[in-house]
Amino acid sequence: MNAPDAPVVLFIGQPNCGKSTLFNAVAGYKAQTSNFPGTSVQHTHSLVTIDGRVLNVIDLPGTYSLHPSDRAEKVALTHLFNELPDVLINVVDASILGRSLEFTLELLETGRPMVVALNMMDLAEKKGVEVDVPALARRLGVPVIPTIAAHGRGLRELFEAAVRGLDTGCLEPRPGLTGEVEESVMGLADAFPDELPLVFNKRFTAVQMIESGPSFCDEFLKDCLPDLKQKLDETRDALSAKRRMPVYEVFAADRHHLAQKIFEETCRVRRAPRRRAAERLDDILLHPLLGYPILAAVLLGLFFIIFKVGSPLESWLLRPLGVLKSQLGQRLGGGVLYHIADGVVQGIGGGIAIVLPYFLPLLLLTALLEDVGYLARAGFLLDTFMHRLGLHGKSVSPFILGFGCNVPAITATRILESRRDRVLTSLLVPFIPCSARTTIILALVAFFLGPAWALGFYVFNLLLIAGLSRLLSLFWKDESPGLILEIPSLKVPGAKNVALKVWFQLRAFVKFAWPLLIAGSVILGLVQSFHGDAVLNGLLSPLVAGVLGLPKELGVTLIFGFLRKELSLLMMLQALNVDYRNLLTVISRDQIIVFTIFVSLFVPCLSTFVVLWKESGKKVAFLSAGLSLAVAVVISLLVRLII
Amino acid sequence: MTNARDFDEGRPYRIVRIEGGEGVRRRLFALGFHPGDLVAVTASGILRGPVVLRNVDTGVSVAIGRGIAQKIIAEPADERA
Repeated sequence: MNAPDAPVVLFIGQPNCGKSTLFNAVAGYKAQTSNFPGTSVQHTHSLVTIDGRVLNVIDLPGTYSLHPSDRAEKVALTHLFNELPDVLINVVDASILGRSLEFTLELLETGRPMVVALNMMDLAEKKGVEVDVPALARRLGVPVIPTIAAHGRGLRELFEAAVRGLDTGCLEPRPGLTGEVEESVMGLADAFPDELPLVFNKRFTAVQMIESGPSFCDEFLKDCLPDLKQKLDETRDALSAKRRMPVYEVFAADRHHLAQKIFEETCRVRRAPRRRAAERLDDILLHPLLGYPILAAVLLGLFFIIFKVGSPLESWLLRPLGVLKSQLGQRLGGGVLYHIADGVVQGIGGGIAIVLPYFLPLLLLTALLEDVGYLARAGFLLDTFMHRLGLHGKSVSPFILGFGCNVPAITATRILESRRDRVLTSLLVPFIPCSARTTIILALVAFFLGPAWALGFYVFNLLLIAGLSRLLSLFWKDESPGLILEIPSLKVPGAKNVALKVWFQLRAFVKFAWPLLIAGSVILGLVQSFHGDAVLNGLLSPLVAGVLGLPKELGVTLIFGFLRKELSLLMMLQALNVDYRNLLTVISRDQIIVFTIFVSLFVPCLSTFVVLWKESGKKVAFLSAGLSLAVAVVISLLVRLII
Repeated sequence: MTNARDFDEGRPYRIVRIEGGEGVRRRLFALGFHPGDLVAVTASGILRGPVVLRNVDTGVSVAIGRGIAQKIIAEPADERA
């Protein structure tokens, strides 16, 4: 699926505008996730054929403006500036058009061919906003196509307009700013020497230079083009003095007023006679007293459903595996071939029977919570508690996603503005029991000790994270900038979007983890058949037997636990050479608890480690591994002494 | 004159100015909160938690910590004022 010459169509818009839903409706199952060269940044792209033309469509993280505050926004902008898209598709939320247009105006300044996708038209109608689409298109000077992403409505028209944009080429930059600002911008642009590298065009470059404040390219100009630097300083000072506000505010205010003006000219707001049901629901969801029981019910419900769905599904799926294993034993005897075949069966079976029953429902439910807009509300409710732990409400959403899988949770820390918050959250996320660990907790603790123990395990785990957070924030004393988090309108999630979201994550799991799982099982099988496990167990026995008081056969399982946490469970049965139901004959209940605690905590799994490295650097990844190991040893030892 | 931390819940206010550093101010501008806008607090967290500030004109809601709310200076914009 490579077409290097295909024109690049960039989806860009503010967060929560339904951009990804729109992209998913276009790209469907064919979308590819790939790394952006030079950075560790992921974007999704897909080739789309419209009227025989192949387009390379790229979906970027949402961004509020061209001046990034967090990493997710930086990703979007790096792309915009490096990729030089052939056409921009600016997705706007029609239900909050007045605000969204401010960014549209900023994007228009790039002068690239652009189409505005007026998304969420249905929600806008519900809110009583009527948009005069032709008038808006005239006012902006670009095609405006109404879309309802969730139903795939307007997509064809959108791409037809994009293709037309390709043929017509760049837009003339439209002067949108007030007279004096426009004069200053053009005055600076006229002073540009010919050799100055431009971003998009002269006017855009001038706007960015003035607006970005003293950090942007100032050093470069001071050394290479001192005259221009002086002119830039004069322009900034003059504008700032005239309007009696910082220069960035001059531009923000100008765009804001223009956006409001366009909104008033092209939209009619019928005031709804009474408040919408969603707003009344929000009163309850965000209520200082009612909000918390609801949040607790939602989270408990989440685990209840997973337990209720996952547990029976797991035993139902595990049964044929046991039969297969014994048949393999009869047919192949006990040689190398048996160990390989058994490894393959265990690997495939582990993926199907242990991971899917828990992983799939968790993915589905977290995707639902996200799309409904509840994660942001949970962030609001928990902010005050998070503050006491040295974090704030924006970290809640990575934490909740972490229950599904730590990897997307680490990526989600990009929405945090400060590096301190990002690193702190990234260090804590690996302590969240992800679905792989949930399988272990349920299979070992809930099954052999009872559900109350499993729940206790979770509570203990959360308290541990809280304690660690307090402890770690002692080392990063600098003040967290405080919460600024948009609360998107409550929405009924689109089934297709949720399904696609789950599908993408599931596909990534199957592609990445399953081969590891199967290879891991086969290798362990081989190691066992050649008695190599005894060597590994011997090496690890001071830790496993000495510190943790576990059978030393379990040493080898820890190594596989680093590959995938759930492997530890599979390998445990294999290493102890015992059937799941007869586990208690070889290991005591106390040992089960210590093993579960240690395996849950001792190291982030390989995928988490890699994503930590990519997102926050080598130091943080190793710090996380060291921290996990230290915490796991200390806690396991304490638990062992207490029980 | 008051600040968003002390708003009466549900009552409309007009933003007079936004204080604080460039980072916070730029963020609030980008989210659609500017001097001159009509806003209301629609929910407040317990234990000095954040408030939900709604821009009455655009319909955008944001949760902001009390520290930041304190930097949003406004005056009441209803008949009681």
